[in-house]
Amino acid sequence: MNIFRRQRSDSPVVEESVYPLIASLTPRSKTAIRGRVVRIVRQPTQGLPTLLVRIEDASGAATAVWLGRRSIGGLDLGRTVVIEGVPMTSATGLRFLNPAYTLLP
Amino acid sequence: MKIIIAGAGSVGRYMAEQLSSTGNEVTLIDSDANAISRVNIAGVTVTLGDACEVDTLSKAGLSNADVVAAVTGDDEDNLVISLLAKQEFAVPRVVARVNNPNNEWMFNEMWGVDVAVSTPHLLTAMVEEAVSIGSLVRIMKFEHGKAQLAEVTLAAGSPAIGTRIADLGLPRETTVVAIMRDGHVLSPQADIPLHQGDEVVVLLTGDVEQDVRRVLIGNSAS
Repeated sequence: MNIFRRQRSDSPVVEESVYPLIASLTPRSKTAIRGRVVRIVRQPTQGLPTLLVRIEDASGAATAVWLGRRSIGGLDLGRTVVIEGVPMTSATGLRFLNPAYTLLP
Repeated sequence: MKIIIAGAGSVGRYMAEQLSSTGNEVTLIDSDANAISRVNIAGVTVTLGDACEVDTLSKAGLSNADVVAAVTGDDEDNLVISLLAKQEFAVPRVVARVNNPNNEWMFNEMWGVDVAVSTPHLLTAMVEEAVSIGSLVRIMKFEHGKAQLAEVTLAAGSPAIGTRIADLGLPRETTVVAIMRDGHVLSPQADIPLHQGDEVVVLLTGDVEQDVRRVLIGNSAS
């Protein structure tokens, strides 16, 4: 049961350089987006540790949520990242739960 | 609604039958061919395969399911199914069965579970309800404990006896949902006075249990 792994190498969901715009995403279909980290919210003290990272591209923004972690090394404000997962609708726009991520230089 | 049930044991099969008869589109998943062969319910689709595998879930159609119920007899499996349903398929509502009450603490959003149903816990609540008069019995929790349904049978010393529902002074976060009296369910109108022996069912949100105890049971109660 490989729940937490994600093999990105064998079959990329989206070819590089053609990441869809966040505003054009369809909820509940697997995708990858590329954007800049514009906000990081940590909720480490009460209940379940949660890391919320807001990612923005030219068209809009989405939130990546990692449960059970307080920070991810290298994932800092201003960083460009690729987020791969299944977006779901939420009150604050699309969110990805525990997505795979790639830090871009 | 499209409902997918993982686990075609007696619980899963019963749920499939009930939910299908009320017009829902139901799919059952089980890795045991024998269990699958016992499913003989008109209108219910079956998928043979391990529900802990993404491929099986995909084949069963989780990507457009409204609800997933993980009701196998194995808590580990139920947790894995819940997490996959939430993380890989963004299923809006995930319901999971807790087999061993010691595992209940894990059935939360961390594992993708929206609603956890624990049979032992329900049984305890029902037994408690049958034997206790004048104490608050927690029947069911929603939204990870933020809201709960509780019941109080009014004992002789209760300060609520003779008081109208509107005048009880219950906190704002509390709603009286039903009064059970002599085997009848009374709709909780504001001007109904409460009697001794009434079973008062209340919906509580937040941390107001103490206030409800004070109003319905009195100060002497624990």
